[in-house]
Amino acid sequence: MSITFKQVEHTYSQDTPFSYHALKGVNLNIETGHMTALIGHTGSGKSTLIQHINGLLQPTAGEVDIEDVIITATDKPKSLKPLRKKAGLVFQFPEYQLFEETILKDIIFGPKNFGMDEEKTIEIAKETIKLVGLDESYLDKSPFDLSGGQKRRVAIAGILAMDPDILVLDEPTAGLDPQGAKEMIALFKKINDQGKTVILVSHDMNQVLQYCDDVVVMNKGKVERHVKVDELFKETDYLTSLSIDLPIITSFILELNKNGFHIDPSIKDINELIEVLGGEING
Amino acid sequence: MDSMMFGKYIPINSYVHKLDPRLKIGALILLLVTVFFDAGFIGYAILSIFVLIISILAKMKISQILNAMKPMLFMMAFLMIFNLLFIQNGTIIFSIGFIHIYDQAVVQTIYIFIRLLLIIIMTSILTATTKPLDLTLGIEYLLAPFKKIGFPTHEVAMIISIALRFIPTLLEETQRIMKAQASRGVDYSEGTTKEKILSIVSLIIPLFISAFQRAEDLANAMESRNYNPEAPRTRYKQLHWQLSDSISLIATVGVSACIIVMSFIL
Repeated sequence: MSITFKQVEHTYSQDTPFSYHALKGVNLNIETGHMTALIGHTGSGKSTLIQHINGLLQPTAGEVDIEDVIITATDKPKSLKPLRKKAGLVFQFPEYQLFEETILKDIIFGPKNFGMDEEKTIEIAKETIKLVGLDESYLDKSPFDLSGGQKRRVAIAGILAMDPDILVLDEPTAGLDPQGAKEMIALFKKINDQGKTVILVSHDMNQVLQYCDDVVVMNKGKVERHVKVDELFKETDYLTSLSIDLPIITSFILELNKNGFHIDPSIKDINELIEVLGGEING
Repeated sequence: MDSMMFGKYIPINSYVHKLDPRLKIGALILLLVTVFFDAGFIGYAILSIFVLIISILAKMKISQILNAMKPMLFMMAFLMIFNLLFIQNGTIIFSIGFIHIYDQAVVQTIYIFIRLLLIIIMTSILTATTKPLDLTLGIEYLLAPFKKIGFPTHEVAMIISIALRFIPTLLEETQRIMKAQASRGVDYSEGTTKEKILSIVSLIIPLFISAFQRAEDLANAMESRNYNPEAPRTRYKQLHWQLSDSISLIATVGVSACIIVMSFIL
């Protein structure tokens, strides 16, 4: 069971002057249960790629296989609902998709669309709102009375309430305060620990290093790397060529090593670094 | 994505693209008036051929024209059915129960169909070949004489240009929200009537909220740059009337005059 892309091409507005070749022969195999980061420049095809995972976009050539649901250029399942239930997609700035009178109604909107019983969805809403760091008293409020960050949490809760097996997030922490961003990403890690597949588009390499297992690098519509996170940050020259910054901790270690230290650059944790550094200084 | 073609500027180089926006707007108004002069089928044939020539000169593709018509199909069908049923002149061609279809009704309906078709094609040629900014500039120039009687030409031009500028943005926004709601299990094509209404609500409300938000942001951005509609301003871009503009003007006026005269004679 995995998410597989075979020679996937996607061209927007084919046969018009606006035609844009967004994905060029993408081959990818994302294992179930992993937390995978998807990185690359704006316009590298990240958003196009993730929209294939829940069938919002159909490849213009090639084949997408999402845990045995197969979508090709000419063929897709009659109903995409089961796939949308299985793969929850959180768009960038999801706060713009809120529309109901109360937060409760907005959170249960997804589950209800997938045919869940209303009583049960209310139970789920009560659990999910706590999961995203708000309390039950919010459920009766209007989503439009909230701050931007709180709206984001409610919108994410709306997807989490669908209990998807695969959770795809497009820059979920963009524009959040650092503390809020940290809480959010920790929540996705927790969901991943419960056995769900998480795919995360991110520009924050510190997040990628700290929380993700694998990383996929996209450049100009192609997948250029699909490796373990540690492996990627060893390729400093490659990352520089893409002008992707190293995580703060990694670049700090490299800087230390340039000045005569011999520290393993794959260290992710600040406390571990302090220990190793102390050991080296003391003898 | 395909439905977004209507009203969008298509950045290619063609004879029509290079024409003066004042001419294009003027010609469109003249042709729109001409469409409503009833010069029989010959008149419409002449006008259709003229519009066809313009579309070829503008390098329009048939698919673009068809796409431009898509949003209008429902309205066209609606108008045509009503016309067929309610015009009661001439002789009855056939009847089903209490419904009588008259020959004049058929003729009028075909006229309406042709008129709508021509109007949509001509308007989409204008928007496809003229940058929104040029369009506004043209409108402002054409309205200039009314300034003397206190008509706020600059404001009107600005309102039009902002409205035009945001059509593609709002369409993109619509697509984005539709995708987001589809990810939450909304099915825009299937489902019962109640579900369909709810699915529209889930689209309209976020769309309105973001449109108002955008309007507010834009107003703030303009205000913070000290925008003053009454301030006298110069332009970086000047419009220059060229020979091709004169030729096109003569051709348009010729065709229109021809059809209008025909409509009075026939």
